[in-house]
Amino acid sequence: MENRIKQIRKRLFSRSVRAGILVTFFMATGIMESVAFCGFYVAKADATLFNNKSQVILVRDGRRSVITMANDFKGDVKDFAMVVPVPVVLGRHDIRTIRNDVFEKLDAYSAPRMVEYHDENPCEPVVMFDSFEHDLAPPVEKALESTMVEDVDEELQVTIEAEYQVDEYDILILSAKESDGLETWLKREGYKIPEKASAVLAPYIKSQMKFFVVKVNMDKMKDIGNGYIRPIQISFESDKFMLPIRLGMANSKGSQDMVVYAFTRTGRIETTNYRTVKIPSNRNIPLFVERDFGKFYKNLFDKSYRYEAKKAVFLEYAWNVSPNAGVKCDPCVAPPPIFADFKEAGVDWVSGNNWNSSVFFTRLHVRYTRDKFPQDLQFQVTPNRENYQGRYIITHPATGDLSCEAGEEYLRKLEARRQNELDELAVLTDWDTDGYQSYVQKHSRRYHKAFEENNVVPLAPGSGTDGPGNNGPTTIEPLNPDPVNNPLTEGPGNTWLVLSGLLGLLGLVLALAAFQLILKQTFLIARSNRSRRRFANELAAQQK
Amino acid sequence: MLAKHITTPFLKDARHFQIVYLSLFLCYGIFALGWDANLMQYLALIGGCLLTQAIGIGFTTKDFRGLKSALITALGLCLLLKTNGAATAFLAAVLAIGSKYVIRINNKHLFNPANFGIIAAVVLTNDAWVSPGQWGNEALMLYFMGAAALMVLLKVGRIDTSLAFLSTFAVLEYLRTIVYLGWEWDVLTHKLGNGTILLFAFFMITDPMTTPNASRARLIWAAAVAVGAFVLTNWVYLHTAPIWVLFVVSPITVLLDKLFVHKRYQWLPTRTQLNSTPTTKSI
Repeated sequence: MENRIKQIRKRLFSRSVRAGILVTFFMATGIMESVAFCGFYVAKADATLFNNKSQVILVRDGRRSVITMANDFKGDVKDFAMVVPVPVVLGRHDIRTIRNDVFEKLDAYSAPRMVEYHDENPCEPVVMFDSFEHDLAPPVEKALESTMVEDVDEELQVTIEAEYQVDEYDILILSAKESDGLETWLKREGYKIPEKASAVLAPYIKSQMKFFVVKVNMDKMKDIGNGYIRPIQISFESDKFMLPIRLGMANSKGSQDMVVYAFTRTGRIETTNYRTVKIPSNRNIPLFVERDFGKFYKNLFDKSYRYEAKKAVFLEYAWNVSPNAGVKCDPCVAPPPIFADFKEAGVDWVSGNNWNSSVFFTRLHVRYTRDKFPQDLQFQVTPNRENYQGRYIITHPATGDLSCEAGEEYLRKLEARRQNELDELAVLTDWDTDGYQSYVQKHSRRYHKAFEENNVVPLAPGSGTDGPGNNGPTTIEPLNPDPVNNPLTEGPGNTWLVLSGLLGLLGLVLALAAFQLILKQTFLIARSNRSRRRFANELAAQQK
Repeated sequence: MLAKHITTPFLKDARHFQIVYLSLFLCYGIFALGWDANLMQYLALIGGCLLTQAIGIGFTTKDFRGLKSALITALGLCLLLKTNGAATAFLAAVLAIGSKYVIRINNKHLFNPANFGIIAAVVLTNDAWVSPGQWGNEALMLYFMGAAALMVLLKVGRIDTSLAFLSTFAVLEYLRTIVYLGWEWDVLTHKLGNGTILLFAFFMITDPMTTPNASRARLIWAAAVAVGAFVLTNWVYLHTAPIWVLFVVSPITVLLDKLFVHKRYQWLPTRTQLNSTPTTKSI
């Protein structure tokens, strides 16, 4: 029995990790279209600049913000440049680079996950199991260099507030009086600025924002010699808790994806000028989705995005990850963040000496376009500590002898459940599930067929694609179900919509009825007033 | 006494409309916008408000029609206030209605009860918050909210307050967002089309019991709220600014009522008025 539990644990973990890797892979390979970051990338030469998906770590503690931007820049690093509006002039110690793997770790840990369950055989005794993993990694120390200058370009009214060299980056903090001046200055210095940049730069200049301009120092890059550029982290004190997305949309017409990993002391963060919506979670989906989970989640996100009229921010994960908190996910697809990761991410209130400090992790995923997201993303920290995760459940059917009475009952319920799973899949992703009706009955049909033919207890009708005793019917289930990307199916099919439609209708009817009644009442009051006046006049006349 | 209540025509009382509309908004939020509907929280808010009001009425007027006002406060809290637990929600409800009976000047309560409940819960517990982004900018929803509000406000006669607030706020935002900063028009419409602002403008600052009695005073008062909200939103980045400003500005109502003398608002005619003036029922 213990062996069996171990096997199950091992399988559960390996599947979980695989699901995690799959999600990370699909995120990293950039199936989602994206061009720029919350600033924009500008080039010093005509390189094709693409940035598949931007990732940001956002730490908020009182008025202090720490923003870390991941660089998944795919072109030649010498062409890399970035402009980000910041509310204050940053000091040297407010800027640093961090380990690349922090993003990978946070992504893998908080990504939407698939969880698998195994039905118990109703004809056998119950087995309980669960799994928990942990990991430790050493922190990395870095060297620092800095200089501070102030240089004003009188003609263009662009001031270099500070100039630093931070590891492989050359950094300028600029302030400007005129957007045209700033644009001209950047162009003159060899930065390739998108066409409409000036118009977007102007409001930031007027709001007294500074510009954090980054490019790669090739000499330093060679010294470091690892070939890739590291995430850059800035910290500052300001009441503004926002991410400037408008600048990043200056050079892009399509949609861009951004994943925000946020850490606070108190609870979730949410956007204050857009709706923050939970991504659908805890849904039972068919077993065959296991092989295509990345595609499933991508389609699910597409559908949710369209359903929310393309203007919501999605909550994918929210959890209390304080060092002293218990279970941090169910199941964990990757090890939870540890002290070293917190430190890298800028969560400076947590350390080994500070075991009791509280950390809350929020993962938001936003797909934004210029027309639906006219304003920069503004956030607030809330005391909301409710845990949440994008979690999708597959369930393997029971194995072994199912010939008892409870077994028959189980098979009937299984059919109903599988039908629900298919329906759920269609609703969540718009996949065309009509062709997969065999999935519903396959298990019980095979079981009955084997039973009738052999008149013996059949071999375990297995469930998965691997593992002992699991070479059953599900292995021939259809692969790669094609999603139907029909824009007409946007929204409908969802029970919420139907319900809200009905309520809206009810409201309309009520409003109309009320309106009519008010008119009638007003009319009646007016008439009664008239007749009262007439009566009073008559009375007065009589008295005279 | 009971007979008198029944003879009051249902449609004469604007509070009935308010109850229907606020309930509809709540259903819309839960079903269409997918809010975290916490039944216990809603029950705590409604139960807390009704209970406190019932106790208050029991000790004072004994006129239980006042429960309608408590229900409106409760629904307002359901729409605006988020808490981690039902206990906090209950506390907010009790404080909201409690403020009506405890903080009184000139026989008129000082704070809008829902506003007081929200501020008290946020400040005292660290367990409650307001989500200004929860309504989004759905055009249809905003239209319906506006239309519904119009009906209630025309009946209550407080449309001037809403318009004064909205127009002042819109003009200030226009001047800053478009004229000064140079953003496009849709940035402004996105800012102003926020459901929370409209709910606030139509259903919170229009409470006839906690706003100045005279129309001119109300205009000044509403404009002051708008200016305060504009400043806090744009320079302090407090995204729930209107709610805080309303709280701070509320005491000024007393002053304005002294400067601009006017008859107090009544939801329904009193018993003596019912006897002396003709109502629709008497026709």
